[in-house]
Amino acid sequence: METAAAAAPEPVRLSFVLNGHPVEAWVAPYETLLAVLRDTLGATEAKCGCGEGVCGTCTVLLDGAPINACLILGVQVRGRAVTTVKGLGTEGTLHPLQRAFVAHEAAQCGFCTPGMLLVAHAFLRDHPHPTRDEIRAAIAGNLCRCTGYTRIIDAIEASAGMREDPSGSTV
Amino acid sequence: MYPSPFVYHAPASVDEALTLLARLPEAKVLAGGQSLIPLMNLGLAQPGVVVDINGLPGLDGVTEADGHLRIGALVRHHALQTSLTIQRRCPILAEAASLIGNIRVRHRGTLGGSLAHADPAAELPLVAVALGATLEIRRAEGTREVPAEEFFCGYLTTNLTPGEMVTGVGLPVFGPATGHGLAELVRRAGDFAIVAACAILDVDDAGRCGHVSLAVGGVGPQPLRMRRAEALLAGRTLTDPLIKEAAGTVPDEVSPESDIHASAAYRRAMARVMAYRALTMARTRAGTSWLTP
Amino acid sequence: MRKSPGEAFRPSPYRIIGTPLPRFDVADKVQGTTLYAADWRLPGMLVGRIFRAVYPSARIRRITVEEARTLPGVAAVLTAHDVPTNVIHEDPTGLGLTSFATPVLTAERVRYQGEPIALVAAESETQAQAALEAIKVEYEPLAGVFDADSALEPGAPRVHEDRNNLLIHWKLRQGDVKDGFGRADVIVERTYRTQRVDHAYLEPEAGVAWVDGDGVVNIRAATQVIEHFREIAQILHLPHNKVRVIAPFVGGGFGGKEDMTVEPYVALLAWKTKRPVRMVWSRQESLLARPKRHPFTMRYKTAATQDGRLVAQEIAILADAGPYPLLSPRVLFAALVAGSGPYRVPHVKIDARAVFTNNVPTSAMRGFGAMQVTFAYESQMDLLAERLGLSALEIRSRNFLRKGDRLPTGEALETSVALPSITSRAVEALGERSRPSGPSARVGRGFACNIQPYGRTVWFRDRAQAWIGFEVDGSLVIRSGVTDLGGGQAASLVQIAAEILGVRPDRITVHIGDSSLTPLAGGTFATRQLYMSGNAVLRTARELRAIMIPVAAALLEAAEADVQFADNHASVIGSPERRLALARIVAECARRSVPTAHLAGFQSAHAAPVDLETGQGKTFPDYTFGCHAVEVEVDTETGGVTLLKHVACHDVGRALNPQSVEGQIQGGAVMGAGQALMEHVALDAGVNLTTLFASYLIPTAMDVPDVRAVVLESGEGKGPFNARGIGEPPTGPPLPAVASAIRDAVGVRLEELPLTPERLYEALEAARQEKPEGAA
Repeated sequence: METAAAAAPEPVRLSFVLNGHPVEAWVAPYETLLAVLRDTLGATEAKCGCGEGVCGTCTVLLDGAPINACLILGVQVRGRAVTTVKGLGTEGTLHPLQRAFVAHEAAQCGFCTPGMLLVAHAFLRDHPHPTRDEIRAAIAGNLCRCTGYTRIIDAIEASAGMREDPSGSTV
Repeated sequence: MYPSPFVYHAPASVDEALTLLARLPEAKVLAGGQSLIPLMNLGLAQPGVVVDINGLPGLDGVTEADGHLRIGALVRHHALQTSLTIQRRCPILAEAASLIGNIRVRHRGTLGGSLAHADPAAELPLVAVALGATLEIRRAEGTREVPAEEFFCGYLTTNLTPGEMVTGVGLPVFGPATGHGLAELVRRAGDFAIVAACAILDVDDAGRCGHVSLAVGGVGPQPLRMRRAEALLAGRTLTDPLIKEAAGTVPDEVSPESDIHASAAYRRAMARVMAYRALTMARTRAGTSWLTP
Repeated sequence: MRKSPGEAFRPSPYRIIGTPLPRFDVADKVQGTTLYAADWRLPGMLVGRIFRAVYPSARIRRITVEEARTLPGVAAVLTAHDVPTNVIHEDPTGLGLTSFATPVLTAERVRYQGEPIALVAAESETQAQAALEAIKVEYEPLAGVFDADSALEPGAPRVHEDRNNLLIHWKLRQGDVKDGFGRADVIVERTYRTQRVDHAYLEPEAGVAWVDGDGVVNIRAATQVIEHFREIAQILHLPHNKVRVIAPFVGGGFGGKEDMTVEPYVALLAWKTKRPVRMVWSRQESLLARPKRHPFTMRYKTAATQDGRLVAQEIAILADAGPYPLLSPRVLFAALVAGSGPYRVPHVKIDARAVFTNNVPTSAMRGFGAMQVTFAYESQMDLLAERLGLSALEIRSRNFLRKGDRLPTGEALETSVALPSITSRAVEALGERSRPSGPSARVGRGFACNIQPYGRTVWFRDRAQAWIGFEVDGSLVIRSGVTDLGGGQAASLVQIAAEILGVRPDRITVHIGDSSLTPLAGGTFATRQLYMSGNAVLRTARELRAIMIPVAAALLEAAEADVQFADNHASVIGSPERRLALARIVAECARRSVPTAHLAGFQSAHAAPVDLETGQGKTFPDYTFGCHAVEVEVDTETGGVTLLKHVACHDVGRALNPQSVEGQIQGGAVMGAGQALMEHVALDAGVNLTTLFASYLIPTAMDVPDVRAVVLESGEGKGPFNARGIGEPPTGPPLPAVASAIRDAVGVRLEELPLTPERLYEALEAARQEKPEGAA
């Protein structure tokens, strides 16, 4: 049997697209995507909250679909597109969802916020006119301990209405 | 907090994967990773070798032939939920998939992975047993098929032997008069069920029950078919008192254990309630023209 | 119920205070640019981990670390030997007398599962893990004590060899309860139990430590209290001015980051290795070993006369403190003061005790003792109402405290006690009763009122300082040692300074949470921050303004009383064209050697500690009152409870930022709902069974409805602009409100939390046995 202790695996070169830009990193195959993002690529906006896939603070989009970065290996995203919260909005301009979160104070400590925004973004992209109950169900997998969720749903609901608004507010 | 080091393989074909598994019987298969990677993050699983099968072609199809659906092992839960073929031909599977975990888990978790993990409180093993599904299992030397009820042999235990891998699942297509019901008792939406029941039945023009299948999960090391209840219902007109009576047989047929989530007595009592609800739902659906043309 | 921002908040008499100003930190948080404790990177940084005990009670025979020390990449393995002063000084009296020595790393005895025994620092996570696995400890398991009642029995194993298991016993005696019971027409006696609960902040404990070029040990950690630098200095045997604690924005605290978390460990490793060290706890480690909310057993005997007036309360509270004091004495004190509820009772006897056990430690958590008792005193009021044939509203109305009344501690309530309107607003806002969703469902409603102290007990001489200064371009800097846990602590200081000094909020920068560079403000706990540092900034801003106004008046050729600072300008009231940019005022002040920066402080009222035999004396600076009303649906076949509606009403004095106030209320209400329905740290003989986030259940968005926060502003409170604290008050009322709503729905009252489906199912079954024709 091959044991890892006996043969420490060589780092491998991993190339993928992060927030629209090609990136490259040397990673061990047993590193999760979350570890690669945070420790190698400095993308600390993806958080570690539980390591079990339960809390949602590590949410990133993989080819547009929300996933747990803590439950996928870095090497598994080779050649694919990963989006963190920094991929929302553009340089100097907040995404409408981000503006709505600020306006409605849908973040307090902010630790759940990057993941929450990405799940909300993916949801609104696929369901542009949701009911409040649908929004509630869409964020059910992202835990928040500070807000009680009401203002988060307010912000997402407002953003759904705001999506046609082309003007961004400068950061 | 992070996985222990392992040697990583990403085979490009099923044959290559099977050859690897034959050579490295202690290797763990990595499909969706939503069960395996948490265990690795917690240090509870420390495989020396991981075989990533996500790149294998031909395992993510959903096809229909001869009144059966064949679903590849790598079909993700989200795809099960949204597939029009599954929604029309086997809606219980789509419904079960929609209850799993959260949206992020559903985008990665796979049918084959969930079945191979065999958590007794999970939705897909329960539905596979209720459907009388057949699992296609391959090894380097060949292929075998196993009925779901035989496949699950204990807590997190299946009859997969080293070198084997689930490659697909076959299940019957619903007829025009088939109704389904899935009732689970969960503390929060998306949690593993405390107990769950899945009922599938046909009803003829006279309102009599033809085929009926009732499976219960969370009441033992694997999902169980409730044959006493099924026998009571088969061939009879499905009245509410009869369904109650059938559900009433369930507590004596199960031997759940107590844990921090629920006591054995509560699980036993709830198994009856869930069975009743699942059967009632199935009967209601069977009564309506369920399948859209 | 959703408002667009700015709409439907009452007009405020102030320009900035009372407006829903967007918080600057939220703009950073939505972009992911905020650097939390675990996001900090330094070159050469090592990974730090803690080796923790596996038994809840044991003697340590031997610790072997030599092999671990030789593994590749391992920079240090430390045990108690290696700690210069292996003591954390704790206060077992609640009076500020530190006399209890808790080990930083334990060497001889293990007193709880997860207790730290050793530390490792290594180059990578994998190497640190390997080092942990190479540490060998020989344990001799010992008998332990695992529940509070047994801890007091004669012959119970002693958690600490040199003393018995009673940690603290607070007493309150007012009047004569025997006399009161003698005159009562109705007496209700019950025992209530609340459970151990985890803070479950989304950010696990984390920090980075490094030694800088001046030999100062810097610790940048997720903490509520930067003042711990003194404790860390004494552990390292360094002068206090050689340790610096920096608090970045914290991902939730709720009292769980009030005691030191990673600080002493990461400081030790950095100090030993002379390299930066990062320590991040896993969620499972946090669930296992971080101090929890105290489980309370509360024995209540409450008496009233036929007309519904309370005459006597006899209360015994017993709390499980785990093996070390931490903040248990103060938690129990808050329970003592709030124990009888927001009611006038002539005769009160309360004994509040905490005992040592070998369970996971317990310490501060939002609500701090005064929230658990809400479950008891409100349930008692409902029971009395039933016995007397009065409505729940009526019995409370007849007994609500009023401004000027005395609490059972003998102190008079100095600010508005708006309970009647708080209660009616809460109940009204429930609206029409929902219809049950099916034949086995029942809908019920309940409400509960509470009293929650804010500010620290007055014998602690609480103080906070702030520094405010103008830059030459008229922009403003605030420096305050406050820590921001997400409750807008920093943003509120910006609002206050903006109001007084007329600088627009986007021209104000606030630096917080640095024990070397910002004036100390005391930690963020006890719902004290707005009261203390808010008042400190208010005073500093007013004094700075008073210093600069004469210069502005001279330049504007107006009387000082006619000059206002607003909108980045100094101007003459009533003549808007006569105005000058604040930068101009600053320049003139510089020319005249008038200061444009100022440091000032705020000190809370001080009084001697209460009488230890009677609990009489001045305790907390002030209190916040509230009422929550909820509607639930019960599934009578499964015992499942769904929250359909939740209204939370509090008098906050003045809402400095109405959105932030509502957010605090909503978040606290949901935290309370979680404790009411689903949260439970389950221990079995000291072994923690709920160490996964999958098994420690906190509410998701699907488990709670929209929380309707109803904010009353009486205009009275001890905080800046007459604000009252709001962080903790919303946590308590959901506990009894949900229990009461369940009672309304199905006729069964539960007295133990959490109100799980299985517990309710069993109670319903028992009721069905008694009345087979259908009780509910």
